[in-house]
Amino acid sequence: MQEQVKEILAQEKSKPPNILKALLLLQEQLGHVPVEAVPVIAHTLDVTTAQVAGVLSYYPDLRVSAPGRHLIRVCIGESCFANGCGRLLRTLQDSLRIDVGETAAGGRFTLETMSCAGNCALSPSMIVDRDLHGRLLPSQLDALLDHYR
Amino acid sequence: MSMALRLYLSNDTSARAAGAGLLADAWSERPEVQLIRTSSRGAFFLEPVVERDSPDGRLAWFRVIPEDLPSILSGRGGTPVRSIPFLMQQTRFTFANFGETEPLVLDEYQARGGLQGLETALRITPDAIIEEVRVSQLRGRGGAAFPVWNKWKVAQQAKADEKYVVANADEGDAGTYCDRMILEGDPFRLLEGMLICARAIGADRGYVYCRQEYPAAAATLRAAIHKADEAELLDVDGEFFPIEVVEGAGSYVCGEETALLESIEGRPGVVRAKPPYPAQSGLFGRPTVVSNVLTFATIPNILSWGGAWHAALGTEQSRGTMALQLGGRVKQPGLVEVPFGLTLRQVLDQFGGGMAPGSRFKAVQVGGPLGSLFPASQLDMTICYDAFAQAGAVLGHGGIVVYDHQTEMVDLARHFMAFTAQESCGKCTPCRIGSVRGVEILERIQAGSGTADDLLLLEDLGATMKAASLCALGGRAPYPVLTAIEHFPAEFRNRLRQ
Ligand SMILES: Cc1cc2nc3c(=O)[nH]c(=O)nc-3n(C[C@H](O)[C@H](O)[C@H](O)COP(=O)(O)O)c2cc1C
Ligand code: FES
Repeated sequence: MQEQVKEILAQEKSKPPNILKALLLLQEQLGHVPVEAVPVIAHTLDVTTAQVAGVLSYYPDLRVSAPGRHLIRVCIGESCFANGCGRLLRTLQDSLRIDVGETAAGGRFTLETMSCAGNCALSPSMIVDRDLHGRLLPSQLDALLDHYR
Repeated sequence: MSMALRLYLSNDTSARAAGAGLLADAWSERPEVQLIRTSSRGAFFLEPVVERDSPDGRLAWFRVIPEDLPSILSGRGGTPVRSIPFLMQQTRFTFANFGETEPLVLDEYQARGGLQGLETALRITPDAIIEEVRVSQLRGRGGAAFPVWNKWKVAQQAKADEKYVVANADEGDAGTYCDRMILEGDPFRLLEGMLICARAIGADRGYVYCRQEYPAAAATLRAAIHKADEAELLDVDGEFFPIEVVEGAGSYVCGEETALLESIEGRPGVVRAKPPYPAQSGLFGRPTVVSNVLTFATIPNILSWGGAWHAALGTEQSRGTMALQLGGRVKQPGLVEVPFGLTLRQVLDQFGGGMAPGSRFKAVQVGGPLGSLFPASQLDMTICYDAFAQAGAVLGHGGIVVYDHQTEMVDLARHFMAFTAQESCGKCTPCRIGSVRGVEILERIQAGSGTADDLLLLEDLGATMKAASLCALGGRAPYPVLTAIEHFPAEFRNRLRQ
């Protein structure tokens, strides 16, 4: 893993070193930022492990473990709140039998919430992987998730 | 062989979520149609919209499904775009191109007046540019509503080896989407605004900090920067002016300008104490103008048509137009560009079209998650900075979310506090601890074990957060909660332990 991390980080040439960019790049290529990699990252960027750990724990989108094959993010921003995102979320929790932040058995889905998808005119919204869905009804969820194996 | 018919279909993310992508897939192989992917007019309740040319201008079909193609091809049942009330009653200046042009075609942007502001800016002195912006009385559209020229002046006069221009595309306020529309739909307008600013202050580099939730916006913007570079537009006083898109990582507070600069530098997005202001000491300690995307996008017209043109629109303290973004339980959610000065009621009735079917009005929230709630009795409030400030409210980034009779105010209040607790950067105690305490109290009330003292406690907590927080996250977080209690006291009292 060390070699792979170093190889990826070689693409990040900011001066002074940019920890956030480096971590986002790692996550893009590895799917997450393994905690074990923190010392290598610190060493490669010539910063302290505390600095790397600080950035890693600060940003909600940086993840230290691999998510399921598909990432579901339900918007709970105000427009979606007004449009019943709570029902949507409960339906998903029930049908996937997981709580927010958890990954369903078999690793197919990870369920998360987000604060606004910029799709408020089509609330309630949800993003699966990179696909944005709007005007959602709880009754449509099963059919929709069938597309994500 | 007959020529393929040009059909206009939006490529905006929301339009695609509404089904535009499905239509494109269904029709892409049809020889009789030529699909032109435009920006969206922002009448999202009608999306996916398909348009074609006619002697009356564009004709539009609404909420189209693939099977509608034959009637569109025959021309049956189309509505002239210029007769759509939602659009007709608007004053589109910053959003004039929306629905008309292909976002990444520079020639189209130019054919509709694009780059004229930049040409003017290159002809006149930096002082004259700033004077034009001063005369326009433009105030920042990201939330704080600070006079734009003032920041430019400070940055211009600061002595430094490098200066920067940063566009704030974090658009963190839930209920807002106009920056996303600009980034995806008219990216050259943002770049033009940034270039004008760069020339005014003598900047060396530009950055756009784009939230991670907007991948299409970041991609479109990068493509636009590439095209602008090819057209040799990225030039300030004979020097290459690179513009970089930096992506965020899901933190709301990174929209606050000093936290945003920390984030661009790669550190945790923690708020810095001000002063010094970014215009004095910003990115890497250099003078930096940080402005919202909509603010920059408003600049080109001001330079083309003059500051006086802009100052003639709107109200005394709020000149120009505002991009209002309607969401929640209105019948017609979408983007509304109008001069400042309408009342909330006018906006909700004329543009929102009233309530969604089956919904009864309960409250409207203006200005994002830190904005106040207004009950029906306050709908005559004028939409402008001064009236809102007098009422202790904020216009913020122009988000307007309508709640209906089904929204439980206690649950909503808890939702607001939980948001702040989640997003607090942790630097100051009132925000970090106050929001967590606030959630505890509201959860107690939700569970039916709260007391009247808890409501008093919430007020005290709110007062402390307002007075002592380092930035507006903690400082404004009590407003939606306290206005919910103020206007809907019975809902809270009914949930207390009897
Ligand atoms: C918690 C917090 C979040 C903010 N989020 C944003 C944002 O997402 N976009 C934005 O333009 N301004 C945001 N602001 C305001 C910025 O600090 C700053 O005032 C603004 O970018 C300046 O640009 P303007 O003068 O064009 O408004 C936020 C402020 C606070 C306190
Ligand atoms: S509030 Fe859900 S998309 Fe904006």
